Amino acid sequence: MKYSAFAVAIAAVLASAGLSAPAFATGKMSCEAGPQSGWKTRAELEASLVKQGWTIKKSKVDGGCYEVYGTTPEGDRVEAYFHPVSLEKLLVSRRGEILFRKK
Amino acid sequence: MLDHRACHIHDKDMSILRILNSLPVFWILLSIPALLLVGEYWTGDIIAMDMLHPTGEFSARFMIIALMITPLSVIFGQRRWIGWLMKRRRSFGLAAFGYAMLHLLFYLTDMEALEPILAEFWAPGIWTGWAALLLFLPLAITSNNASMRRLKQGWKRLQRLVYVAALLTLAHWLLIHDGVAGALAHFIPLLLLELLRGIIIYARRNNMTRQQDSLQAE
Repeated sequence: MKYSAFAVAIAAVLASAGLSAPAFATGKMSCEAGPQSGWKTRAELEASLVKQGWTIKKSKVDGGCYEVYGTTPEGDRVEAYFHPVSLEKLLVSRRGEILFRKK
Repeated sequence: MLDHRACHIHDKDMSILRILNSLPVFWILLSIPALLLVGEYWTGDIIAMDMLHPTGEFSARFMIIALMITPLSVIFGQRRWIGWLMKRRRSFGLAAFGYAMLHLLFYLTDMEALEPILAEFWAPGIWTGWAALLLFLPLAITSNNASMRRLKQGWKRLQRLVYVAALLTLAHWLLIHDGVAGALAHFIPLLLLELLRGIIIYARRNNMTRQQDSLQAE
């Protein structure tokens, strides 16, 4: 009984922590590439990467960019970002280590 | 006669409840997320890469629950539900290990070869995960009564490595994942409970010394 005030306090703190978990921005990159109607398709990007020697596990849209998981022609297992209009390579990262960033 | 039959039915209900509340049934419950995930992988709905986050998250989740039980018992004292959790602490710990093994298995499957694994080994988000896994190993191997008897006081000291494993897990999660919300939502409740545990133990110790002082004064 002595600690029931504690119990209420914990419950309150936990509940508020759970409910107010802020929506942190996810993703490593963002692109301002205009409406999707002007974008090249993901299939186009994948095809050109495969031609360059990439192996692709998965690709998706992230932060308005195309994000590709796969292996580079050099054999690095990476996560890479491409501009959806120009298909230019913007960022290559391996588990948080930046291997390439467009200047 | 009627009474007797009613009593009989009651007994039967009780035994069903007892079975539902047993440890083996609890182990089945803990393995349900794994079964569902592996099922989805098997049918090709998820690729190995996408198994990494959920298996890792469940491992951390069960480790955190196992770790929460001691501070909860300090805060709330002897309650029936605390006893219920205490009896399941080992199950939570072993489940955390099991999901960590699944996590490793799908990591190896996703990476396909040794070379890329070695290439990224020293990335801060990666070696912290390996280190946590390495610490989990002796903890899981000694999570049985025979080891407890054999190791005596050493067992508790050994199992305290879980706090190091927890910190490594937190670091691994924060460093490997984009966005810190998930990791924090899991670890902050544990941190708060540990904080309260510390405060309560400190307050009790102070109380005790004060009582001793007043006894000596008399």
